[in-house]
Amino acid sequence: MNTRTFLPRIQNWRYLVVYAVMGLVALIFVGRLFNLQILQYEDWKAQAVENYTKEISVAPPRGIIYDRRGYILARNVASYNIVVTPAYLPDDVADIQGIYRDLAALTGLPVSRGTVADAKLLDACADGPGIMQWVELGASNAPYTPVKIACNVDENIALIVRERSVDWPGVSVQIEPVRDYPTGSLTADVIGFLGPIPARVAEDYTDKGFLPGRDKVGYAGIEASMDDVLIGTPGTRVIQVDVAGKELRNLAPPVEALPGDNIVLTIDTRLQAAAEAALVTEIDSWTAYYGYERITSGVVIAMNPKTGEVLAMVSYPTYENNRLARIIPYYYYKQLSEDPRHPLLNAAITAEYPPGSTFKLSTATGALNEGVVSLTQIIQTPGEITLCERYSPTEPCTDANSRPFRDWIYERNGVINEAGFGQLDFLHCIAYSSNVCFYKLGGGYPGEIEEGLDIQRLKEYAIALGYNQPSGIELPGEGSGLIPDPTWKRRYRGENWSTGDTYIASVGQGYVLATPLQVLMSAATIANDGKLMQPTIIRGIQDSEGNPVTRWLNADYTITALSAGAGSRQISPFLPTAKWDITVDPVITDYQCSGGYCEATGLMKTVQPWVVQKVQEGMRLAVTDPLGTLNHDYSFQNYPIAVAGKTGTGEYCDDVALAANRCSFGNWPTHSWTVAYAPYEDPEIVILAFCYNGGEGGVVAAPVVKLVMDAYFELKAIDIASGTP
Amino acid sequence: MFQSERWRHFDFWLLGAVFLALVFGVAMIRSAIGCNLSLAALVQRQMIFAGLGFLVIMLVALIDYRFWGGAIVPMYAVIVGFLLILYLTAGQRFGAARWIETGLVSIQPTELAKIVVILSLAYFFGKNMNAPRTWGWLVKSLLIAGAIAFLIFIQPNLSNVIVILVIWAVMAWVSGLPLKQLAIIAVVGLALAVIAFFFFMQEYQQDRVLTFLFPDPEARHGATYNVDQALIAIGSGGLSGKGYGLGTQTQLCFMKVRHTDFIFSVIGEEFGFIGAVLNILLLGFIIYRCLRAARLARDSFGSMIAFGVAILIFFQGAVNIAVNMRLMPVTGLPLPFISYGGSGLLSMMLGVGLVESVILRHKPLDF
Repeated sequence: MNTRTFLPRIQNWRYLVVYAVMGLVALIFVGRLFNLQILQYEDWKAQAVENYTKEISVAPPRGIIYDRRGYILARNVASYNIVVTPAYLPDDVADIQGIYRDLAALTGLPVSRGTVADAKLLDACADGPGIMQWVELGASNAPYTPVKIACNVDENIALIVRERSVDWPGVSVQIEPVRDYPTGSLTADVIGFLGPIPARVAEDYTDKGFLPGRDKVGYAGIEASMDDVLIGTPGTRVIQVDVAGKELRNLAPPVEALPGDNIVLTIDTRLQAAAEAALVTEIDSWTAYYGYERITSGVVIAMNPKTGEVLAMVSYPTYENNRLARIIPYYYYKQLSEDPRHPLLNAAITAEYPPGSTFKLSTATGALNEGVVSLTQIIQTPGEITLCERYSPTEPCTDANSRPFRDWIYERNGVINEAGFGQLDFLHCIAYSSNVCFYKLGGGYPGEIEEGLDIQRLKEYAIALGYNQPSGIELPGEGSGLIPDPTWKRRYRGENWSTGDTYIASVGQGYVLATPLQVLMSAATIANDGKLMQPTIIRGIQDSEGNPVTRWLNADYTITALSAGAGSRQISPFLPTAKWDITVDPVITDYQCSGGYCEATGLMKTVQPWVVQKVQEGMRLAVTDPLGTLNHDYSFQNYPIAVAGKTGTGEYCDDVALAANRCSFGNWPTHSWTVAYAPYEDPEIVILAFCYNGGEGGVVAAPVVKLVMDAYFELKAIDIASGTP
Repeated sequence: MFQSERWRHFDFWLLGAVFLALVFGVAMIRSAIGCNLSLAALVQRQMIFAGLGFLVIMLVALIDYRFWGGAIVPMYAVIVGFLLILYLTAGQRFGAARWIETGLVSIQPTELAKIVVILSLAYFFGKNMNAPRTWGWLVKSLLIAGAIAFLIFIQPNLSNVIVILVIWAVMAWVSGLPLKQLAIIAVVGLALAVIAFFFFMQEYQQDRVLTFLFPDPEARHGATYNVDQALIAIGSGGLSGKGYGLGTQTQLCFMKVRHTDFIFSVIGEEFGFIGAVLNILLLGFIIYRCLRAARLARDSFGSMIAFGVAILIFFQGAVNIAVNMRLMPVTGLPLPFISYGGSGLLSMMLGVGLVESVILRHKPLDF
């Protein structure tokens, strides 16, 4: 033991200084605590709450789309994704590797391939990176967020994973709703498909509670046009999370997501299938006949002329919208968008073609209503007449500006028919679709028709029958077509209107363009005694429990529960809406024409009902007359139901034809048209078929219309027999 | 020395306060690791260390502190040896060589070194209590502390270098450091600090100082994250706290190193202003009992031992609390008796044992 002594000789004041410093420090600490915990409490409290509070959006189920008979056209199905939550994986690296190997054996994915940097550039589940890379990427972002390693796996694999997830901590099966289209390509052009929320509108959707990475919006068809109806309202949950983002509990009662409304379409899937089959069979048979794919696309539309309900709308070629359901595969989309036949577009409403002779319904209605021709007048219709191309009424007709205008019957299969149809009255002009007759009615012919209908008045009647404007059907991307006039030509072609322009416009050629739906509407208006019904594809809207709801479609394309005034129409529950009745509503501007000059009188007029009836008779005669354009064994010859219709053969020159060097006089390629309705006395169905580059309408398109007509009445008989009309 | 009457002078208040602090500490560690179950074993380990700590207190209290006076040189040599081994084997953990793996437990010689420094300085200052306060006196004492401080500096472990230098300075102060010398070492110390900052500090240390001096308001998850979260924890505790085990900052893991460096924030969050102040008072009471022993000690060696231990507890505690409340740059000093850490706790208990040994023998005769 140490014996040395230490004497305490510490000065007291030095202790006091130490005490003082210690006391001061303690005072500072208490002061600081007071400041933080008492004075600034609210601020810090708010920050602590912000730390652990997270608001998450709950995706609403998208509305279901049915056909008119309740058949499902679009629904949500479960898709199974295998996910790994990095934070829940075992601690031991060897155990993790074991899980990866088992998963790889089950799913066929590589355990490790590429680098995390590669995975970063790819969408989840994209082909390439291995399981390890996906998990590593996820772990570095948010360890409690499940990482998708395999998407849309087979249900059996999902069940195996779920069963074994006890042995595989961190591995689970995530069920994701995916849009499913049971009818696939059959209705793709009408239904459309979904895609991610586009960046340019992302903010609008985010404001409504949607998540751009998760929620989808319609890109085409009804899915796009009725997106607001179908999409529903997201719910929200305020949850408590820890620092890693792990969800702990609800901080507030969750706000449930409201499912989107269901939509019932006017489409009858059975008729749709029949229409597609008829069109494809026709196209295929001609492909076999010519040895190459001559008809590259086609359209069939079937509508009830009295209500405007579209029962079938086929646009061929189309696409498989189920292939776009999960993600839009780049290669498939590229293939579709680069296809010159435009399979992504619904040609029935977006494509504009020269309507050809189907447009003669407008010329006929106008000529008869304006008194250009009388029912008893006989018009000389040789195979070819010479007309002159004058750019002003004072210009004389010379050999230099004259050229022959031929009837379609002038040359058939190399046989020249100088006599043509000989002479025809008004009804037979329609029935035989005589071009020469309609040249004369439209542009006049010295000695016979002194004053033709002329382009101004022709345009009025065409518009009255539905041309030159979008129909307003509830589908996106509708074309408006084009009925030219002198002002238009000066503005867009830099040239004066010529008499030749009028002649060819009278037979639906030249600058005249129409969508297939517009051609259908013109026939439907005639069939429905002049009443033009609003074409519609929506039969009703239901809430998620199937109760019908009232919805109005407004002029600005918004959909509201109440009418927004002018321009609004009720789309649910279904209410047939007439756009106008040409025999009642004065929709036609009155023109006074003299010597090729037409001037508006400032008056508006209607079409006299008997005029519409005579045009109907002309269309009926096309079926009943032995020489009628629809009187063939492959069309409506001896058809048990009274059918009336009009064919069309529209010469065209587009980029495809130009490339084939076909754009020259007498060598034009032609589109085939036929539109027909039945029963003649009380029409309930009007059907249009269009075949791109089909050739003569009565030969190529008419058989399609006939097959669809057969199907329609057969289905009707079946429904009546089974008591479910 | 085993005579029972001596235990009358045993400071049961000090022992009781330490016991209270340890129990409180274990409870707070249990709460602090709540969000990370992989740390659950730490509670039990801390309890074992606490138990061992009490044995250490008793054992050291039994040994007359004057015994250590004779063993100063071998003790000093052993600790320098440990620190050298540490430096040479340099098993890097958390960026610095601070542990020696014995296979059973890992020992942090630095913690033990602080006690050795206190004993050595106490011996030196006590022995020279009557010597003139020359520069030689001061430099000798600095060399005693400095040799160990240097070995810790090269680990590198700047916080404990500062702890040792502060212990040296304060012990020199109470031993009668002339004000002139104080002024000069203050100036030199400041100059050295500046030089150290620019030439000897690791980049992370410089960053810590810089982020403290000039906090970047944008750095939400950057360098200031830990302290920001600690401040939120303390501030959101309010007057009475969120309740034991209910602190959102703690239980949801927003705060890091909760069971060691930031345990004061856990207390502040879960027990509020009242709990934090009580915690400060408890530590203050322990320091007070040490200082009391220093004043009652029978000789200047014992007095200086008790005083050194008091300074050790005070300085580590004050730095830890100041860091938690963003009054100082981040350092890795634990809160005495409360924070998790075996070596740190055992050396604190060793210090308390020494103080008990001093107070136990504060009167040469007891009639």
